[in-house]
Amino acid sequence: MTQEIPRDAYRAIEDIVGPDNISADPAFLDSYAFQWLAELVRPNRSHYMPRPWAVVLPGSTEEVAAVTRVCNKYRIKVKPISTGWYHWAAPMKDDAPTVQLDLRRMDKIIEIDEKNMFAIVEPYVICAQLQAEAMKRGLNINIIGAGCSTSIVASACAYFGGGPSSYYLGHNSDNLLGQEWVTPAGEIIRTGSLSSGCGWFCSEGPGPSPRGITRGVLGSRGGLGTYTKCAVKLGPWQGPPVLEPKGTLPGYRLPIPDNFRVYTIGAPDWDSWANCYYEIYDNGVGYIFHRQFNLAGADLAAALWLNYIDPAKTLNDVETSVKDPEIQKITEEARISFQFIMQGNSIEDIQLQDKILNEILRRTGCYKVKRFCEPDMAEFTNMYMQRLGHKHCNFIWAGGYMGSWMQPGTPDFVKKYVPLAIEGFYRDQQSHKLVECGGDAMMGCGSTLAGGGYFGLEQFVSYDPNDNDSIDACVKHMEDAIADTAAHGIPPGKELLYLQIGWTDERIWDALAMMPQQFVLNFQRKIKEAFDPNSLGDRNYPWLPEGWGQAASASTGAPKPQPGTECKPATK
Amino acid sequence: MTLENYRADAMRCTRCAYCKWIPFDLIKSARFSKGCPSIEAGKFHAYSAGGRLVTALSLMDGRSTVTEKVKESVFKCNLCGQCDVSCKICRYDMEPLDAMRELRATLVEGNHTLPQLAPVIESLREEFNMVEQPAEKRGDWAKEFEVKDLTKEKAEFVFHAGCRYSFDGDLAHVARTCVKILQKVAVDFGILGMNEMCCGGRAYDMGYRTDFQTRANANLKAWKRAGVKTVITPCAECFHTFSRKYTAKAGSQIKVIHMVQFVDELIKAGKLKLAKPVKLKVTYHDPCHLGRQGEPYVPWDGKEKKIFGQAVCYDPPKPKYNGAFGVYQPPRDVLKAIPGLQVVEMERIKEAAWCCGAGGGAREAYPEFSRCTANERLEEAQSTGADAIASACPWCERNFTDATHAGGAKLKVFDIIELVGQAMGEEGQ
Repeated sequence: MTQEIPRDAYRAIEDIVGPDNISADPAFLDSYAFQWLAELVRPNRSHYMPRPWAVVLPGSTEEVAAVTRVCNKYRIKVKPISTGWYHWAAPMKDDAPTVQLDLRRMDKIIEIDEKNMFAIVEPYVICAQLQAEAMKRGLNINIIGAGCSTSIVASACAYFGGGPSSYYLGHNSDNLLGQEWVTPAGEIIRTGSLSSGCGWFCSEGPGPSPRGITRGVLGSRGGLGTYTKCAVKLGPWQGPPVLEPKGTLPGYRLPIPDNFRVYTIGAPDWDSWANCYYEIYDNGVGYIFHRQFNLAGADLAAALWLNYIDPAKTLNDVETSVKDPEIQKITEEARISFQFIMQGNSIEDIQLQDKILNEILRRTGCYKVKRFCEPDMAEFTNMYMQRLGHKHCNFIWAGGYMGSWMQPGTPDFVKKYVPLAIEGFYRDQQSHKLVECGGDAMMGCGSTLAGGGYFGLEQFVSYDPNDNDSIDACVKHMEDAIADTAAHGIPPGKELLYLQIGWTDERIWDALAMMPQQFVLNFQRKIKEAFDPNSLGDRNYPWLPEGWGQAASASTGAPKPQPGTECKPATK
Repeated sequence: MTLENYRADAMRCTRCAYCKWIPFDLIKSARFSKGCPSIEAGKFHAYSAGGRLVTALSLMDGRSTVTEKVKESVFKCNLCGQCDVSCKICRYDMEPLDAMRELRATLVEGNHTLPQLAPVIESLREEFNMVEQPAEKRGDWAKEFEVKDLTKEKAEFVFHAGCRYSFDGDLAHVARTCVKILQKVAVDFGILGMNEMCCGGRAYDMGYRTDFQTRANANLKAWKRAGVKTVITPCAECFHTFSRKYTAKAGSQIKVIHMVQFVDELIKAGKLKLAKPVKLKVTYHDPCHLGRQGEPYVPWDGKEKKIFGQAVCYDPPKPKYNGAFGVYQPPRDVLKAIPGLQVVEMERIKEAAWCCGAGGGAREAYPEFSRCTANERLEEAQSTGADAIASACPWCERNFTDATHAGGAKLKVFDIIELVGQAMGEEGQ
């Protein structure tokens, strides 16, 4: 199992970062191989992704570049990780020598430009840190749906970056104003206005945008080099300069300023819910807009959260609470609901937003969920949503969760697939091997685009990663969800993205070859050829081998490569 | 318990990294947002609670072996419990702190010990203290007092000074002030003097379970013989050990009070007057073992059960130790009761307090790491504008004092009891 990095390569890297910043100790390597979701895709339900051959802690962009050049010399793959969540943060192949770059030493907020409303950060700066500093300057950042423990560089440069505040503040990949990228070949490239020595104020130009080359919609997820700095746009914050929560953990409560409102909005049906979303977009009210608490499942959410805010309670109390008629009433009231926070530039502004929201509710038949709008729950909601410091509650039931569905679109599109997702999840819960929280554990942003209009809901499937039967049931649900979507002409959701991590290259290419717009994947192959000539990146940056797939073959006449072809682009 | 008992914790860890930070809701600045001294020093993921769970799993499954680096990653940690608090913000089914303790015990049982710890363990076995001093000098701090000798007499209360207050010449005056307070309010108490023995708590945290058990049995026997109902201690580590570990591991029924709690009750009952102004701007450092690890013990003997198909809970319900109900307010109330004293708070307080660096054997095994941890706290204290940092544990005070002497932030270091003594008109030294 232990595969050793060549001694000369190890020494060369050690010379760059120092002996304290490289390790090939098997136990240390295992702590990087062990990743959330691995058990869903690895043989024998192993919790380990492929083990890196060494872990390196670079301290600067120059060190990242130098290490990468050494890896090119020895043909060792490079896989960066920052705060680290998801199985794709690990090496992808058991037999491919890989150095994991742990970027935790690069943890500085380099600058917050208050006047021009942007911040420049290194990869190990997390959202909570930057938010705390930005708020002191009357500014805020979009914290992504995965929560404030995540790296800003990772979400802005290498993944999608949508979150509850994206409706107001945009998503991080759109807020990216420039990035410093160490290519898989070890070259340092700066994008946007920075490339002209003009600072970080603009993400584009001059000339073709390298930003588009490196990230696309989903980002390269560590599969195409290492991002070592980025600038992100900040937005206005009208709240206090420092968040001062009160109460006892875990349900800390954030007092609600006079110019804020915090609501949980309920809808009688999915049509009303969609109409409410449209009306909110059209009227431009709101700051944070998210279907959050339903991660616990619509049958259990009210019982869970009302117990969670009581420091003396445990999950055992939830079991009792669900039988309480009062809780059951709240459960029904909140069954189709979302969290909504409005920020006013003044008292008059928030009063106006309040009036508009009340009118929207009147017109759409939606309503404020009374118990969730009472001070204790409202203040807890305010804390949860402003900081997103409780996102690990995603795992609260059993320690494992996997998100299925999550196809983005308009509210009318989402409301069409929600019943299918509910029906499928309810069916799969009959195995009793998944947490039985009702069919609807759909959660997600109110919009991932600033101003509204575009979002998806993710089905939160909770399973026990310490129970192979439960893991199997989760995998079956993923496969069922893919079949359910296909049966209704809907593209697959996140479950496919997760499962593909365990596929062979050939199987992935076969799947990619079935997708529309294959010219994109062929174009990305050329990008890979240009920037990753020794194939040090991995499959998280998707591309198609030349001639692979029907459309490409038809257009180029190139024969389809045989299975077993190495995952490496053709050399120039 | 064995390490295998924590396999489920490891399998359910999602590598979320919450264990590396203070609870996110409490972050007020980037500078003071981090919560784990170990990962800040060791940097690799293996130096975090999550990383140690994986190490445990990897060792149990034979994927790796105990190397020198593994030993360092396991022991270069204060066991301060910040990780435990942050993990449990969102989880009811994880016990990372207990798992880390079990991993240490497993290594010690396998003779994977640290040579740096050998002298203190030897001292514990031979001299019954953790500070490598001769046992016969243990009671010297109390020579000036006429106090019941509980090896010969009986009393309702025993005052347990602890190893550090007993032997540390810079701190022994705190123990003396405690005795003066107890005498002033006429409590029926005594001491064991030269025959007092280490609580064993630090040995437990270092992985030496048998040595802990020996000390626990001996102390409980001595107290029983003296008719003791309540133990009062000014040491946070002793407090935690007596209140949590003795009850859980040795069936103790003895009531345990930290001296600060006792003083707080006296002040609130009007039995202790603090009249002399102490003109000082002070910030309070929550000792880990009084704060987040200071929650009362609740007996539990149960097992895991599944509800709603796969949700994990326990039958009967398992007590939560997440730092919610630590001893946070009494020390603050005592400080506020001292006339002239201005109390300012640091950013990381109560359950989110940064460790002093002395715990878990780190002071003994990795002194530079221990000092760096103390320096980080002193910098935070200094950022408040305080003249002094006060605590309620001699290990914190020793570590802070040493750090200031080694070039750390120039702050005065006090025990709360020392400040109480000054307000009572006692000079204390």
